[in-house]
Amino acid sequence: MSSMMKSTPVAYFQKKLNPKWGEVNGTQVAMSFDTVEVEEDRKKKLGVTDVSFRQRFGVKGPQANQWLAAQKIKTPDSINSWVIDNGVLVLRLGSSEFLVEQQVSGEVCQQLNQAVQTNPVGVYKVLRADAAFVISGDGIPAMFSELCKLDLSQKALKPNQVIMTQIADISATIAPEIINDRLVIRLWCDGTYGAYMWRVLHQLAQEQGGGAVGLTNCFSND
Amino acid sequence: MNMRIDKQTGEWLEREKQVNFTYEGKKFTAYEGDTITSALWASGEKVLGRSFKYHRPRGVLSLANHDINVMLTDGQDTNIRGDVVTVKDGMTLVAVNTLGGVKKDNLRYIGKLLSPFLVVGFYYKAFFRPRFMFPFWENIIRHGAGLGKVNFNYPRIPKPKLNEHYDVLVIGAGPAGLSAALAASLDKQLNILIVDENKQAGGSLGYDRAGSISPQSQLDELVSEVNKATNITLRTNAYAGAYYTDHLIPIIEFDGITKVRAKTLIIATGAFEQPPVFRNNDLPGVMNGSAAQRMIYRYGVKPFNNGVVFTANDHGYRVALDLIHAGTVVKAVVDLRNEPVSNALTKELTNHAVQIYSGHCVYEALATSDDMAVKGVVICPFDEDTNEADADRSFTIDCDGVAMSAGWASAAALLYQSGMKVKYDYTIEQFIPEALPNGIFAAGKVNGVFDLEQRIADGARAAAEAMRYMGMDNAPTISVQAHTASSPSHFFPVVPHPKGKNFVDFDEDIQAKDFINAAKEGFDNIELMKRFTTVGMGPSQGKHSNMNAIRILARIRELPVEKIGSTTSRPFFHPTPIGHLGGRNFHPVRQSAIQGWHADAGAVFVDVGAWSRPAYYQKPGVAVEEIIQQESVAVHNSVGIIDGSSLGKIEICGPQAVEFLERFFTGKFADQKVGEIRYALSIDESAVVADDGIISRVKDELYYLTIGTSNAAIVYREMQRWLQMWQLDVALVNVTGSYGIINVVGPKSVHVMSSLSQDPLLSTLTAGMVGEMTISDVAVRIMRVTFVSDIGYELHVPADSMLAVWEKLIKAGSAYDIRPFGTDTQRLLRLEMGHYLPGYDTDGLTIPYELGCDSELAMDKPFFVGQRSLKILAKKTLRKRLVPFVLEDGFSGQMPEDCNLVIDNGEIEGRVTSISYSSKVDRIIGFAYVNPKKIEAGSRFEIKTDNGSMVKATVVKTPFLNSKKES
Repeated sequence: MSSMMKSTPVAYFQKKLNPKWGEVNGTQVAMSFDTVEVEEDRKKKLGVTDVSFRQRFGVKGPQANQWLAAQKIKTPDSINSWVIDNGVLVLRLGSSEFLVEQQVSGEVCQQLNQAVQTNPVGVYKVLRADAAFVISGDGIPAMFSELCKLDLSQKALKPNQVIMTQIADISATIAPEIINDRLVIRLWCDGTYGAYMWRVLHQLAQEQGGGAVGLTNCFSND
Repeated sequence: MNMRIDKQTGEWLEREKQVNFTYEGKKFTAYEGDTITSALWASGEKVLGRSFKYHRPRGVLSLANHDINVMLTDGQDTNIRGDVVTVKDGMTLVAVNTLGGVKKDNLRYIGKLLSPFLVVGFYYKAFFRPRFMFPFWENIIRHGAGLGKVNFNYPRIPKPKLNEHYDVLVIGAGPAGLSAALAASLDKQLNILIVDENKQAGGSLGYDRAGSISPQSQLDELVSEVNKATNITLRTNAYAGAYYTDHLIPIIEFDGITKVRAKTLIIATGAFEQPPVFRNNDLPGVMNGSAAQRMIYRYGVKPFNNGVVFTANDHGYRVALDLIHAGTVVKAVVDLRNEPVSNALTKELTNHAVQIYSGHCVYEALATSDDMAVKGVVICPFDEDTNEADADRSFTIDCDGVAMSAGWASAAALLYQSGMKVKYDYTIEQFIPEALPNGIFAAGKVNGVFDLEQRIADGARAAAEAMRYMGMDNAPTISVQAHTASSPSHFFPVVPHPKGKNFVDFDEDIQAKDFINAAKEGFDNIELMKRFTTVGMGPSQGKHSNMNAIRILARIRELPVEKIGSTTSRPFFHPTPIGHLGGRNFHPVRQSAIQGWHADAGAVFVDVGAWSRPAYYQKPGVAVEEIIQQESVAVHNSVGIIDGSSLGKIEICGPQAVEFLERFFTGKFADQKVGEIRYALSIDESAVVADDGIISRVKDELYYLTIGTSNAAIVYREMQRWLQMWQLDVALVNVTGSYGIINVVGPKSVHVMSSLSQDPLLSTLTAGMVGEMTISDVAVRIMRVTFVSDIGYELHVPADSMLAVWEKLIKAGSAYDIRPFGTDTQRLLRLEMGHYLPGYDTDGLTIPYELGCDSELAMDKPFFVGQRSLKILAKKTLRKRLVPFVLEDGFSGQMPEDCNLVIDNGEIEGRVTSISYSSKVDRIIGFAYVNPKKIEAGSRFEIKTDNGSMVKATVVKTPFLNSKKES
């Protein structure tokens, strides 16, 4: 593991919001942007949190599913869906490609990285460098009405659905989830578009009275 | 003169609120809810604009969003449509397209004096000869053309483009549309949106009353039911602008566009009233019957005091009763039809002592002395069968207004765009749908149903069919009675007049005779006639003119109307502001993981493909050109560092990876060893150069391709496409964003690297090799490439560790005055090295032979993409070749630019693709395409610069660094 501090694709562009910084997974992370009350209010309206720091492991190949199972990783049964088990979120991005994301601290991704070094047949590591966001609040439908052409209403969504589509004119993956009766959207995009995506999400959130939410408050009520 | 009448049931005004505004410098007062037109008309103001071509005074025509002669400017906003835009307090309005004001428009003499010379198509035949006079005429035409003046300082106001999804989208909230929405809403699972361009729902039910209150009561009931339905969203002031595949309809509102996707569409858009064509039918005070009705019931304004109704259908009789309701003295109803009408309407009019003239026409409207209003009409017998007016038996009736009702044209633009097949229905003299695409249904007047009760039934029928389409087999079966009354449209409501000025198209001032002239010129097809006469090409897009134009052309060609057809309907069918189309204007941009570092270091960024990259790093007081030379000198003399993260990076994995490479690229990879890198050239099936890059064999079954920034996405897509076809056991992994690239180049780069890592790989890694090592525990791929310098390292670093590694290198390089450089310097350095850049030194037609890279083409392979085309091209004579060149030593003339032409004996032989001054070479160096006979070093050619001077250039060998002070 590197001894050097890592940075998220968004961190530099969050500086002007004067966040309180912390370190998670060896990465500089914005822990808060304002008081708890302000950020809780933003979360209700439209809050955006950068979770790019999370450890991820990507894998594809005809044997990827079986290999993950052998590594004791629970994978979704159907394509374009997600499953979470023991703090490990697994997205099935097609028949033979997976994204594993450690939601809390843990060693799963490091272990998978180690295991794939043995060059298992039909298994190919996909180096991930995503920008990742968690978006919450009542303003989600309005925000995604502008950002996404697909119908993201609860009526249209299947449980644990993964949607790979264009968000704000770039390729992105989203996983809507109902947490405490509220719609929350996880969003991943190529890290090189991270600053752009942050700028768009933050601007739209601000227009609806929401804004940036630090990591500390992001999951405070979940 | 005050034309305001008592409050009307269902009117759109808030009479307790007044607004004040000015028009052409004069103060006016109106009620909140008034449109600009209704406010002015209520105050007795009748000249609301000037026509586009002849600058004739114009008033109200439709009051239905296509009165394009009433366009106004208010401060920074222009082309405001007076007939539908609500007047606001403080508006300072002036009419567009006038010189000296709307009343004293000096351009009116165009119509008075020059109109005989301004027949349609005159501009195709005039002004181009003598040629030297063309700029003079062009200047006049440019100043005279157009409506409102474009304000280039208009502020940017973002208009969001939203996406919404419904089960049923009903377009048009008239009786048919409201009925359709209500019928569909009975299934509570359905989510229904109904939109209407008007401020309030109701359509003609709100104003076509024949002097009765009952239609408004019926409307109130319908709207009340709609409002009660929890699964209906009613949106007014919202028009459906277009139809796109998969039932995508942009709904345009003041604040932006909503792109609605619906499982089913019910089009209930109604019909546009078409004016009859007679002399001076454009005078202020002559208006469509439905315009008069709207004016009365929506805005509480009397259209005129003493009026004549010129009709060719029963609707005109209803209009007459509405005028009487408003207090207008209806002096006559003039019916174009030969057969007298006898029904409840005529009886009621007779009770009001209204004189009815069947088999007559309004031969012409008479203008007041100032030409700005109606003072009377000339009426004469008319034979609709022979289309002859008996002017000898004419008589005059004094009046100050004419209401016209001659027929309708279905508002079917969206249906046409969806691919509807139409037929012409002679019982109603209208095009109606014959076959509709799946999931699309028509209802009401647009469907050829005119009777009110049948329109309501037709809406319910359309809803039931839509529900069945969605799988609800229990939806009721509803029948609609066929039309049995007289035709709502006349088959040819055109009154000939020897003096003309009988207008068909009010947008473009096109008269009946213009169509005859166009046909004589040979433009007798509806599409050709449209383009020659410009009918339907104005802002109203033919809403009030296309149907009459079709009828006239049919008459000229002696063909039935259905043989003429109609012109193509294209999105958007109604003018839509550019700002709406632009939306919020998302501009996705890719940035390196260390973009912030670059910004802090003074980088000036440039767009390269989708990326924003540093072009150079600013130094206070130093010119850009000098900075680029300084940055390049640092690379030549010591060490430079550049962020190359934008390069495309693709891993090719699997047991058949090498087979894939052999097929996809022109070179050979079968014998490439682990640890080696090779040049890779990609061409398409027609042998055009796609891109080049390098392929590193990292492991037995893992190859790593780096490729140019701009073409990376295209190349990756092509790789995926070919892999799909070839079905090889290969996985492609696009890691462009996952790795950052740091190039440390220059003679001191070795020292910088060795001060960071003691890895023995560094000492064994020579040019053309790749390896993996760690820098402060960060695993990186390292290559030795010679793109911008003979000595250099290319580090491929996981993006999240990019900043840390970069800063370590900067720190380690500080002892050697390491200098970051950008793309401008990179291009100079690669030029000095003699490397061409695909996309920069090539274009969409360049083939490998023109680059002289024949050695990269392994023609002895059994197959690679583009090989067959190359074999064919090899037999053809090469027309140009890319060569490196220098200008004369000490050259000081006009500097040639990229794309300047290479000229020989007055003929174009090629062009410059790259050129720059190199302080290292101390010459101006570049690449250019030249005649293949001039590719030997020492050959000379000439470049024509922007100022026309010819500059001599000499072909040299690369790298340019060897050309110093040669030739």
